[in-house]
Amino acid sequence: METLPLTEPVVLILLSLAGQAQHGYAILKDVEAMSNGRVVLSTGTLYGALRRLLEDDWIERFEEEESPRGRQAYRLTPQGRRNLQLEIQRMKHITRLASLRVTRQES
Amino acid sequence: MIAFYRTLLCLYPAEYRKRFGEEMLAVLFQEHEENAKRRWRNRIRLVLRETAGLLKGAFHEHFRMITEIQEELSFVTGRFAMRNGFRFPKSTIFFMAIILGGVLTAIKKGEDIATSVPHDIGPIAPIHIQPVHSILLGGMPLFFAFFYAAGLIGWAILFALRRSGVHRLDSMSLTQK
Repeated sequence: METLPLTEPVVLILLSLAGQAQHGYAILKDVEAMSNGRVVLSTGTLYGALRRLLEDDWIERFEEEESPRGRQAYRLTPQGRRNLQLEIQRMKHITRLASLRVTRQES
Repeated sequence: MIAFYRTLLCLYPAEYRKRFGEEMLAVLFQEHEENAKRRWRNRIRLVLRETAGLLKGAFHEHFRMITEIQEELSFVTGRFAMRNGFRFPKSTIFFMAIILGGVLTAIKKGEDIATSVPHDIGPIAPIHIQPVHSILLGGMPLFFAFFYAAGLIGWAILFALRRSGVHRLDSMSLTQK
């Protein structure tokens, strides 16, 4: 995958959409909550990332059915989910490797 | 405040604004509603963050359209990387031809100057005649600057007339969605 590794904001956006479809504001708040306030995206940055993810078919946009003014929401596509899983596997590998090396070094 | 953000959104390319503008405004509105009861320091921080984000986003979107570089997702953190299949703008060939023309003209001009100066002047030659290479060195940057400026102006005209191909490619990618 040439697009991996992903940046932290992108991983958090994808994770936010992994559980359920969300609209822009909910994604912003979710990213902030997941990172314990460390990653605070601005609206401009969020929509830049969403535009890119839409173009790469990692996410899709749809109109929420029960929203008052036809609010747009986003959800992961199968490709986006697959790429997120690959990224998580990569992270797991790095974490496992790091803990092994660090433990060996300490002992 | 929303009027201010609306003005900042005008800095984005038209296609982008049409696609995300209202949605972004709705998010900004929600954020401000939520922050209305917070301390003024938090509110100022929010305004600064959003303003910087919108300016950066607008710059990035224009940069992407002009250069036609398909950036990786890493742009969020400010790092740019080109894809293997990034598009080389056709208009660049035209501007490269202009620049090449400028360089060739400068060389020709240099040769003309070189031939116009007599080589065997001898001891009666006036002392103040400058050597050919110094004339060229002085003139070349000027020529380059002129042709670069001409190229840029030409490109800006094409862009304004929507003939540079940028708008067409962008609308193509939108219709493919």
